[in-house]
Amino acid sequence: MDITAELRKIVGGRLSVSPSELYCYSSDASQVKGMPDYVVRPKSTDEVSRIVRLAYENDIPVTARGAGTGLAGGAVPVEGGIVLDISGMNRILEIDIDNIQVVVEPGIIQDTLNDALKPYGFFFPPNPGSSAMCTIGGMIAYNASGMRCVKYGTTRNYVRDLEVVLADGTVIHTGSKMLKSAAGYDLTQLIIGSEGTLGIVTKASLKVAPLPKTRKLVIASFENAEIAGQAVVKTFSNGVIPSACEILDRVSLQVLKRYDPNLVLPSEGDVLLFEVDGTESSAREAAEQIIKVCSPLALSIRLAESEKEMADIWAARKLVGAAVSRLDPTKTRIYVGEDVGVPIKQIPELLKRAQEISEKFNLPAMKYGHIGDGNLHLALFIDVLNKDEWDRLNRAADLIHRTAIELGGTVSSEHGVGAARAEYMEAQWGPALEVMRAIKKVLDPKGILNPGKLGL
Amino acid sequence: MKTMKNERKKEIKQAKKPDKVEIIGKENEKQKQSFEVDRRSVYKCVQCGTCRSVCPVFDVVGWESANTRGRMLIIKSLLEGRPPSEDVFPSLASCTTCGICASRCPAGANPPEVVEAARAQLVKCGITTDAQEKLKSAVMTYGNSFGETKDRKHWLSKAERSKLPEKSGYVYFVGCFDSYRYPEFAKKTFKVLQRFGVTLLPDEQCCASPLLRTGFKENAEKVMGRNLEQIRKVGAHTIITSCAGCYTTLKNNYPEELRVISLPEFLAEHLEELNLKKLDLTVTYHDPCHLGRHNKIYDAPRKVIQAISTLKEMKNIKEDARCCGGGGGVRIGYPDISLELAKNRLQDVPEGVNYIVTSCPLCVRNLRDASGDIEVLDIVELVAMAME
Repeated sequence: MDITAELRKIVGGRLSVSPSELYCYSSDASQVKGMPDYVVRPKSTDEVSRIVRLAYENDIPVTARGAGTGLAGGAVPVEGGIVLDISGMNRILEIDIDNIQVVVEPGIIQDTLNDALKPYGFFFPPNPGSSAMCTIGGMIAYNASGMRCVKYGTTRNYVRDLEVVLADGTVIHTGSKMLKSAAGYDLTQLIIGSEGTLGIVTKASLKVAPLPKTRKLVIASFENAEIAGQAVVKTFSNGVIPSACEILDRVSLQVLKRYDPNLVLPSEGDVLLFEVDGTESSAREAAEQIIKVCSPLALSIRLAESEKEMADIWAARKLVGAAVSRLDPTKTRIYVGEDVGVPIKQIPELLKRAQEISEKFNLPAMKYGHIGDGNLHLALFIDVLNKDEWDRLNRAADLIHRTAIELGGTVSSEHGVGAARAEYMEAQWGPALEVMRAIKKVLDPKGILNPGKLGL
Repeated sequence: MKTMKNERKKEIKQAKKPDKVEIIGKENEKQKQSFEVDRRSVYKCVQCGTCRSVCPVFDVVGWESANTRGRMLIIKSLLEGRPPSEDVFPSLASCTTCGICASRCPAGANPPEVVEAARAQLVKCGITTDAQEKLKSAVMTYGNSFGETKDRKHWLSKAERSKLPEKSGYVYFVGCFDSYRYPEFAKKTFKVLQRFGVTLLPDEQCCASPLLRTGFKENAEKVMGRNLEQIRKVGAHTIITSCAGCYTTLKNNYPEELRVISLPEFLAEHLEELNLKKLDLTVTYHDPCHLGRHNKIYDAPRKVIQAISTLKEMKNIKEDARCCGGGGGVRIGYPDISLELAKNRLQDVPEGVNYIVTSCPLCVRNLRDASGDIEVLDIVELVAMAME
C-alpha cells in the first residue's frame, strides 16, 4: 500500500516526507533522536482516527507530538513511522464557567489558555517552565506540573474527561463534565501520564480554579542547599502550604543575574523562593509565618516589594534551565538526569548527593527546582564539543537516577520517562511494570502507539 | 510494510556526541565546498522551543522547519554531515531575520546570524534559489535590487543634481526603495536634510543588505567597496539613512569608522530647528525589526511622532514588535507568507488612530500591501505634514 498517498487522502497538504522536515521532527528538547517516515498535521478527531486506523492496519508506529518541548524524548519516533503533529488542533471549544471547566483541543498552548481564562477570573493551575510554548495535550500525556503543584497539584488533578483515539482508530470518552463518578475504572487517570502509548488525546475537559486575589513572594538565602532543604521541611511541618516553593542554588543565581541584570537577588548563599497566595490578609499571614520559621536558618530573608519584582523573578526563573550559556558561552545545558524527585524529608540528602555527584564527575551544575514537592532539576552543563565531558555527563545522570530510586523517589517528577529514562522503570517499579505491560498489550496489541517508550 | 523492521530506525541515539564533524560534499557535484558555520553558536541552542512560540513565520506556516528551532536543527544536521540540498530552502530561506527569537532565547543564541551564515554557506556550495540569483544579478548589474535602469537620482531635477555639494561631512544614503519605489519619500527626506548641508553620493549603489541577508557575502563586499570609496571621496563622516535595512547594514557591516544614524535619530536631534507644527492626529508606530530589535532604536521615532501628534501604541511594541514580513528576502522568495505576516501585524493596530507610521520603506510596502483600513505612512511623510 502506498502509505504516502493514503495519508495524503486524509490530510491533503498537511503531510510531509521532506528529509529536512522529517529531521525537524526527529528530536524534542531531550537528547533522544529518531527519524520519522512521515509527518502529518491533522486538524480533527476524525483525521486522527483515520490516520491511526491506517497505521494499525499496516503496522506503522504512530507518535503524537505537541510543541516538542518534552525532555524525555516522548515525542520522538524512535522506531520511525508517523509523527502526528497535533499542535494545529489548538482551539478552545468551550469556556463553561458555570461548571468551572473548559473544553479544549490538545494543541492549545498553556499560556494561551490562561490568557483566555483571565477575564473570567479563572486559571488552569499546572504551570511548567515551558508554559509559553507547551501544549495541554503534552501536559496531559506526561502529567506535567510545575512551580505551583505544591499547592495546586499536577495536571492529573484537573482533567475531567478526555476524548481518546485508541490504537485501532476507535474514539472513546473517558469521563464527563461531572465532578465525580463512581461508575467503573477511571480511564481518564489511566490515559494521563501514559505518554501516548495507550491512545491519542484529541479533546479534553479541564477543571479550572479561581485566580487568587493576591500573591506574595518571600526570598530567603541560606548558607548551603542542605540548610535550605531543612527550612522547607520546617515550613511544611509548621502548617504553611505555599503556592510555590523553589530552590535556586548559587550557580543558578549567577545565571539568573546574567539573564536579567536588573533582578535584585541575594548576593550570597542558596536561595528559596516561597510564594503564598489567597486574600490579602491570609497571604500576608502566611508570608509572615514563613519569615518567622525560616529566619533562624537564613542568611537573609525578605518580602518582594512589588508585583513587578515578583513577575520579573518568576519570568527569569522559568527560563533559567536553558540560560546557562549566558554564564559560559562554551557550555550548554544538557537535559539528562534533570527531573528526579524524592519524598520531601529526603530533600536535604538528595541535595547533598547531587552536589557530590557534580564534584565526582567534575561537571559544573545548577541545582534548582520545585523543592516544595521534592522535585530537583539538576542542570549539568558541558562543552558539547568535548567527548570526555559527554561520557562523564551520562555517568553522572545515571547515578542521579539511581540515587533518587534509592531514596524512595522517582526518576521523573514531571517531565516523563519517554525513551530517556525507560531503562530505570524496572528498578523503580519492579513487578508493577508487568501490570503496565499487560495494560499496554490489551489497549495496543500491535504495539504501534509510541513504541520504545516507558520501558514497556 | 512494517516500518519497525527498518534497521535504521532501531537506533535510539542518546546524547549524540558531535566530536567529529565530517566535511561534506562528495555526493553532489555542486558541493565543492564544505559547509561551515560557527559550531558554538549553533550548539548554544538547547531546543527548548521558546522561539517556537514567537516566530512569526511559523505562526503562518505551521511546520516545525519554519520556526527558529527547526532552522537551527537543520543547520546542525548540515554541520554533522547531511548533504546540503534545495530541500532546506523552505526552512532557511523563509526566515525574515526579524530577531524576535534572539530576543527571547534563554540560551543567548543569535539565530538570525546563524541563518545568514548558513545561507552564505549554501551559496558557497552552489545551492541557491532562482529568486536569490535574480536579486544578486540585479544588484551586481544595475546597482539596485530591482534591476532598474534609470538614474538613481531621477527624483531630482537636472538643475538640483548639478547643485549637489561635492564635499560634505554628511551624506544622505537614499537606498534602493526610496530611490525607485518611493521617490516621494526621498524628495521629502532630502528636503529636510538639505538645509543641514547634507549631500548625496555621486553614484550610490545598493547598500548590499539584500546580498548579505541572502548569503552573497563576496558580492556584497564588492558593492560595499563601491559605496565606501565614494563616501571617502565626498569626505563624509556621517551617513544618514531612512531605510532600516540600509541602516543596519551600514551600521553593522561597513567599517566602524563611519557614523551611521537613522533618519528618526537625526530628526529627533534637530526637532527644535525643524519647527514642526502640532497636528490634530493620533497615530500608531510600527517598529521595523532592523531599526528596533537589531539596533535598539525605539525612542527617537517616538520622540518625533509625539512632537507632531498623539501616539497610541500597538499591541506588541519595541522588543516584542511583530515582524511585517518584508525583510530577510522572504518578500521576494515567499510573497504569500510575507503578506500573511503583514496581515498579522495589522492585528496589533489599536483602535482610533488616523495613521500607522513606520520608519522603513520595506515595512511601508508590506503593510500597505496587506490592505488594512488605515493608511500607512513613512515617518518622513508625517514630518512633511507638520512642516507644511
